[in-house]
Amino acid sequence: MLQQDSNDDTEDVALFDAEEETTNRPKKSKIRHPVASFFHLFFRVSAIIVYLLCELFSSSFIACMVTIILLLSCDFWAVKNVTGRLMVGLRWWNHIDEDGKSHWVFESRKASSQESKTVSEAESRIFWLGLIACPVLWVVFAFSALFSFRVKWLPAVSLVAEGTVSQCWAVTAGCSLLQAVVVMGVVLQGANLYGYIRCKVGSRKNLTSMATSYLGKQFLRQIVVEIQRCRGPVFAFS
Amino acid sequence: MRSRVREFDSSTLNESVQNTIMRDLKAVGKKFMHVLYPRKSNTLLRDWDLWGPLILCVTLALMLQRGSVDSEKDGGPQFAEVFVIIWFGAVTITLNSKLLGGNISFFQSLCVLGYCILPLTVAMLVCRLVLLAELGPINFMVRLFVVIVMFAWSIVASTAFLADSQPPNRKALAVYPVFLFYFVISWMILTFTPQ
Repeated sequence: MLQQDSNDDTEDVALFDAEEETTNRPKKSKIRHPVASFFHLFFRVSAIIVYLLCELFSSSFIACMVTIILLLSCDFWAVKNVTGRLMVGLRWWNHIDEDGKSHWVFESRKASSQESKTVSEAESRIFWLGLIACPVLWVVFAFSALFSFRVKWLPAVSLVAEGTVSQCWAVTAGCSLLQAVVVMGVVLQGANLYGYIRCKVGSRKNLTSMATSYLGKQFLRQIVVEIQRCRGPVFAFS
Repeated sequence: MRSRVREFDSSTLNESVQNTIMRDLKAVGKKFMHVLYPRKSNTLLRDWDLWGPLILCVTLALMLQRGSVDSEKDGGPQFAEVFVIIWFGAVTITLNSKLLGGNISFFQSLCVLGYCILPLTVAMLVCRLVLLAELGPINFMVRLFVVIVMFAWSIVASTAFLADSQPPNRKALAVYPVFLFYFVISWMILTFTPQ
């Protein structure tokens, strides 16, 4: 009986291990795409740095704003088309069929047993960290730009009182370019964040159903073991 | 942003970075060609992207800078003005065409309107070159002629793509705001004088 139990236990352990290896993706902690990881963070972080330190970089306000716009666009394209695919195997895009209706497609790479296609944990962490932290910062900048706009109105009001309306317009329009750039940052990075979260949620539905079926199987196995343990003494008595 | 017509997900999920870049560049270049030689076709509408409008908008806004770009007060207003006029104008026209019952999607319409600014950007370039010569009535006539020709080109190019998406009795109502939009941009180009 004891031997039977131990056999059952070892059999359970072996089955447990075999199941785990096929259902869970083996996670590695080395970075397989260093260039992609670098560029994923480079464009986002440099856009934020240029925004914060624009006075230091160049005396021309316009050059800073154009640089930020270009960095934000490059970041949007790179994250949407390249780094998402390479680092976490997710992609989202818009598809227009013949009727002219637009569909948003969110796809994720299916779990495969091939070594090269599995998701590395370090890369996944870098990806999601960069994806979530930067839009949050841009939202913070948006709020601060909103409030500093009010502060900038005070000298503008005094300028109007002195009659220099053109300078007042210049100051407020300068503010509005800053806010336009911040809004653009929020929109572009927020769109990528939303797209990838939807990709992830879509793929997690498959993971959830796999997890529930796996747990269901484990539960059934435990019940069978318990029944066999209870039956053991019955057989001994009979 | 881009849309794409795809057959298999594995072929594009695993393609190399160079393929992605070349594919996107070719798509943008093809659209510019379509604007320069407008014919009725659906490619501009099926595969929309907003890179061309962004490049054209930034180029036009930079060229419409007045005076020196060193001081903070001079550069900001014109750049912000042009940016806001182009993007808000395009969004307003899109909303208008959707309310009139057009079956074109939001980003497709933005894509077409943005790409059809190309002739006016060329006009701006020509005007800046012409303004290097001495100012006078001949100078103004040359600029006026160039701007009118490019304005007509923009209108023809955009209506070739947008008109089909509207119901037939509403075509004029949908084209009129496009006319106004390009007219305002042409006006900004014509009245530009560097100080």
